[in-house]
Amino acid sequence: MIEAIAFYGMAAVALTGAVLVVSLRNTVHSALALGLSLSGVAGLFACLGADFLFAGQLLIYVGGIAILIVFVVMLLGRTSDLHLRQVNQQWAAALLVCAITGAGLWRLGGLYRHASALVPAAATTRAIGLLMLGDYAVPFEVISLVLLAALLGAVFFSRKDIS
Amino acid sequence: MTPAEKPVYPEPVLNRRSGKLLTGTRYWPTELWRNPWSLPRYRAGALWLAGIVLGIAAVGAGVGELAAWGEKLLALLGRSGLPAAVVAWVWVLVKLTCVIGVIVANGLWAVWWERKISAHIQSRMGPMYAGGFHGWAQTILDTIKLLLKEDVTPAAADQVMHLLAPIVAIAPCVMAFAPVLFGDELAAARIDVGVLYVFAFASISVIGVVMAGWASGNKYSLLGGLRAAAQIVSYELPRGFSVVPVLMFASSLDLAAIDRAQAGYWLGFFPRWFIFYPVAGQLAFIFFLIASVAETNRTPFDIPEAESELVAGFHTEFSGMKWSLFFLMEYGYVLLASFLLAVFFLGGGAAPLPHPTFIPAWLSIPSWIWMTSKAMLMMFVFLWFRWTFPRLRVDQLMDFNWKFLLPWSFANIGFAGVLVYLHMRGWGPG
Repeated sequence: MIEAIAFYGMAAVALTGAVLVVSLRNTVHSALALGLSLSGVAGLFACLGADFLFAGQLLIYVGGIAILIVFVVMLLGRTSDLHLRQVNQQWAAALLVCAITGAGLWRLGGLYRHASALVPAAATTRAIGLLMLGDYAVPFEVISLVLLAALLGAVFFSRKDIS
Repeated sequence: MTPAEKPVYPEPVLNRRSGKLLTGTRYWPTELWRNPWSLPRYRAGALWLAGIVLGIAAVGAGVGELAAWGEKLLALLGRSGLPAAVVAWVWVLVKLTCVIGVIVANGLWAVWWERKISAHIQSRMGPMYAGGFHGWAQTILDTIKLLLKEDVTPAAADQVMHLLAPIVAIAPCVMAFAPVLFGDELAAARIDVGVLYVFAFASISVIGVVMAGWASGNKYSLLGGLRAAAQIVSYELPRGFSVVPVLMFASSLDLAAIDRAQAGYWLGFFPRWFIFYPVAGQLAFIFFLIASVAETNRTPFDIPEAESELVAGFHTEFSGMKWSLFFLMEYGYVLLASFLLAVFFLGGGAAPLPHPTFIPAWLSIPSWIWMTSKAMLMMFVFLWFRWTFPRLRVDQLMDFNWKFLLPWSFANIGFAGVLVYLHMRGWGPG
């Protein structure tokens, strides 16, 4: 009962934040609503017993990416960003895309309707670590190599030329 | 002040301590104390607030005296015939009350302590009057003052965000305290990813700071908020990576496991704290200390509120209780960092020397006293830093982080790896 309340509450937080992101006129408010939505997703992970994912989501998305987005919006925003409507007139096409995606997700979710998510929460960190540095060591290292390359590329292209 | 300039009060002045009416020269420095009519009410208010704070602290101490007492209390709740869900909720509320009490009492204590330390560093006395003994009631009276102050929202401000900013700043601070150990096995919650949890919640508060800077509707506050965002997001990286050696030594993210891993003594007398692990331990301690000072926005890293440049940075436009919530957040994070330093590096609740055999075991000092005293030692270091070092410039701050602290934190993980490897081969510190 408590678990269900928590789960649906967090789902409501995530969805409300997502709707606010696209409906608010002020871009700074939108960026903050994105942070709220991401926190809701972290709460969903917590409700499902994925403790490592919960903390990682908060640390990286809410404490890092959301703040950087807010930062950029505040630093590079124009005055018109604060009161103009942030949406265009293509709502019919958007509704169609959303309907198709929603139907697909509904079908996918139907496959797992009888899988109980309410297993007793167990610590997952050790298992994740063993998998990442055991069975999946090569993809894990390849991903870190890709991230390193992206980082170096960002630094290389954004620096001023010192001639 | 020459005798001629000295104010002469026609009416006699009530001396607070003796209750006598004074006509001489001993005046209280404030109009309030000079006014006998308001004194009883003022004193009653101070007593009420002190009673509330001490009561909350006493509840916290009483419940958290030792984990065994907590277990007994929980069992008592369970026997009271309430349904299990209600018991669980009540229990969570009790623990939450304890943690909030700790944070509030720490705010009063740390501000007073900081004033005294700064005063003595600068050859001053600091608060001396309020309450009588070395100004112990100063921060309590300040809190009353802040509660009574007008809450001003500038006309140019974003009203809703101006209201929400202090809340967004303080709430994660309270939540981050959930897995913090106040002694061996003495925490509000056992969280297996405790370290990650604390860092995650501590990183959310900066959203409140940025909101405050932006919502104030002026350039100075906005600059302060943006600086805070840049600084805190940057320094989170070395702060996280400097703890990795500790996690490697303890092989767990659980704070209680990290605490347990430092129990015992080398050669029977030398504590096995992580700060004493050669090279890696000391480097990790120093990096984590520096990054924690930067995370709490305190000198030498206090450019977000650089008063010489930005008035007061992001909280320029806040007054009364909203402003004091930011203050409470800052000191809450100082306390959090102090407890984390104590758990990660200083052995947590472990005694620095083994218990002597000629003293009975029940006379041993409980772990929460060790933990609290280590945390207070670290807090003193924080306050000491603030009144010792000059402020860094923005570019120096970023250079220091990205070009020194972060690479060396990575290198330190390598040093720790060497230690762990030696340990696995069966030599080095066991």
